Amino acid sequence: MKQIILPVLSAKSRKPMSENILIELKGLTKRYGYGDTETFALKDFDLEIRRGEFIMIMGPSGCGKTTLLDIIGLLDRATRGEYILNGEDVAGISARRQAKLRAKKIGFVFQNFNLIEDLPIIENVALPLVYTGYTKTSRLKQASRALARFHLQEREYYYPYQLSGGQQQRVAIARAIVGSPEIILADEPTGNLDSHSSHIVMEELKNIHEEGNTIIMVTHNPALTVYATRVINMLDGQIDTDVKTVADANLPQPISVKIKRKKKKAAEKAALEAAIELPEPSTKNPTKSKKAESRRKK
Amino acid sequence: MALLLRTHYKLAKTAIKENRTRSFLTCLGIAIGVASIILILSLMGSISNLVKSEVTEIGADLIVVRPSTTKDTLTDIVDELTSANSFQKSSLALTDIKAISDVEGVSAVAPIAISTNTVTSEKNTFSSVPILGTNTDFVKIEPLTLRHGAFLTGQNEAHSVVLGHTLSLALFNTINSTVGQMVTIMGEKFMVVGVLDEINRSINFDNIDFDNALIMDASALDRITGSIQIQQINVKATNTDSLPQVSEGIEKALTNQKLGDQNFSVSYGDNITHPASSLFMIISGMLTLVAAISLVVGGIGVMNIMLVSVSERNHEIGVRKAVGASSRNILMQFLFEALILSLLGGILGLGLGYIFAFIISTITPFAPFISWEIVLITFLTTFVVGVLFGIYPALKAAAKNPIDSLKHYR
Repeated sequence: MKQIILPVLSAKSRKPMSENILIELKGLTKRYGYGDTETFALKDFDLEIRRGEFIMIMGPSGCGKTTLLDIIGLLDRATRGEYILNGEDVAGISARRQAKLRAKKIGFVFQNFNLIEDLPIIENVALPLVYTGYTKTSRLKQASRALARFHLQEREYYYPYQLSGGQQQRVAIARAIVGSPEIILADEPTGNLDSHSSHIVMEELKNIHEEGNTIIMVTHNPALTVYATRVINMLDGQIDTDVKTVADANLPQPISVKIKRKKKKAAEKAALEAAIELPEPSTKNPTKSKKAESRRKK
Repeated sequence: MALLLRTHYKLAKTAIKENRTRSFLTCLGIAIGVASIILILSLMGSISNLVKSEVTEIGADLIVVRPSTTKDTLTDIVDELTSANSFQKSSLALTDIKAISDVEGVSAVAPIAISTNTVTSEKNTFSSVPILGTNTDFVKIEPLTLRHGAFLTGQNEAHSVVLGHTLSLALFNTINSTVGQMVTIMGEKFMVVGVLDEINRSINFDNIDFDNALIMDASALDRITGSIQIQQINVKATNTDSLPQVSEGIEKALTNQKLGDQNFSVSYGDNITHPASSLFMIISGMLTLVAAISLVVGGIGVMNIMLVSVSERNHEIGVRKAVGASSRNILMQFLFEALILSLLGGILGLGLGYIFAFIISTITPFAPFISWEIVLITFLTTFVVGVLFGIYPALKAAAKNPIDSLKHYR
């Protein structure tokens, strides 16, 4: 199987910048009802999302924002259309594969936090790791680290009802990032919060984004668009306006991508040097990659 | 996978702990069903143990001939109980005794013919006294100890009787020797020649309660009642090793005697205990059925609680699915919970059943008897019940749409 897939990937990587496209939606349509009651939440929706973007989706109620988020998050399926995630068509995959991708690649943040009331927050945060095969100790360690990041380390064994709304939402964000997913989907994360809490939550999201995470967020609050690198206005299941405020080249990238780029540049440089002079490039190349690897380990 | 199973187990444990009362009541439902099954199995086990120990006490050289073929299946037993014929007319006759005693390797032959009749002494009258018709060989096969007098002897056996301990006491109002006293049965007078020691063993392979019985010669019984039914013929072989040959010989001799009719069974060793009492087997079978029904009711309780739990945790299911749980993960989580509930019920039932059996053992001769087979049966049945009644709620939980479940905020 791998032998068949690999040439396709290499063909894609030959195109400049295309490796950086995380999500590609083509002609995505979601229909509810049949006949007279037929309505379209999404209609021939096309969208390309690059790694490192912070997208805010705005629009009136019922324009299909949440449906779009559910489909991107693999919670829902489109009626038709293509959804390419990381170069893989995921529109028609089995529910089990979808669940696996959800566990590994996607983190959700909801308006109403959606924490499990019966579990202490540390176990809430560790929840995505349950389904990716970590032992309990390692789950709790990672969850504890994630909570510490949001200054909740002293409340690890509190229950959700013992926390304020802002704190609960920070727990939910910790849960979304604990498995280091590629995409974070946020459905009005500040919708239930007062302005102070929502400011804190937005700052946290901004920090996460600056580390190179891709965030797609639905919101009604135009004031929040200052955080975004791209603002999409939706109307009746289609894109109304699409504004990018940051150039693609300046998007923050995850460390792994940065390393890859550096490696690539180094390899190109080495190849160039090899083309000019004649000292063996084969010896130079591995040492560089080793350095890069050791850097990654740190 | 093993890791995930352990996680499911832990989740189930917390879920059960959180709803302590509810879980306990559900377990109790299962436990009562299991306890009644355990109780019945343990009673049955102790009864067959009693008979077995008696047979080993008597000796390994015993062969038993019973009318009609061996009753192996329940239908055979029901047939025998419901058809009046086989009960009224035993296929064995007094003439068969002679035929059996002529077989090589047979040292003693005693018929067992039980009927009930009114027995009168000079002081009291008792109706429905079990009367055992046998012959002098009876004590050679089964060692009965006598308190007073002697067993039936060759002399004057037609007019002698031996009384059971309790019967003697009841008839003559004394625990002293009643040897030499007269009793009247069907207008005929018999002299008491012996009184048995107290035996207090109402369950045995002869199906006779010796303490209350009156023992007399089979031909004398035949004479006063007109006809007797031989329920069983006990045969003692001269040699333990020759039991198969001797029983084959008896079979041949009886078949000859009856002109080819094989309406009898010859058994020895462990087979003797098998059809100890057909009525008892039917009753225990029915009881097991009732217990199984109560187990089913317990299982329905588990299903009910699991359904409640699934709808209560609708939101949790949604969250779990959103963060990456597959339908199978959810299915396993709820199935595990049902399984643990019913297994806990099984353990509780095992304990309860043993306690009940112990209480019963204090007022009856049945010692509580629990073997590893019974424990295994318990765990298998509770496992099956758990899966059977847990699978539907678990499937229901697994089939939930995460988007709808997430909207279901408490």
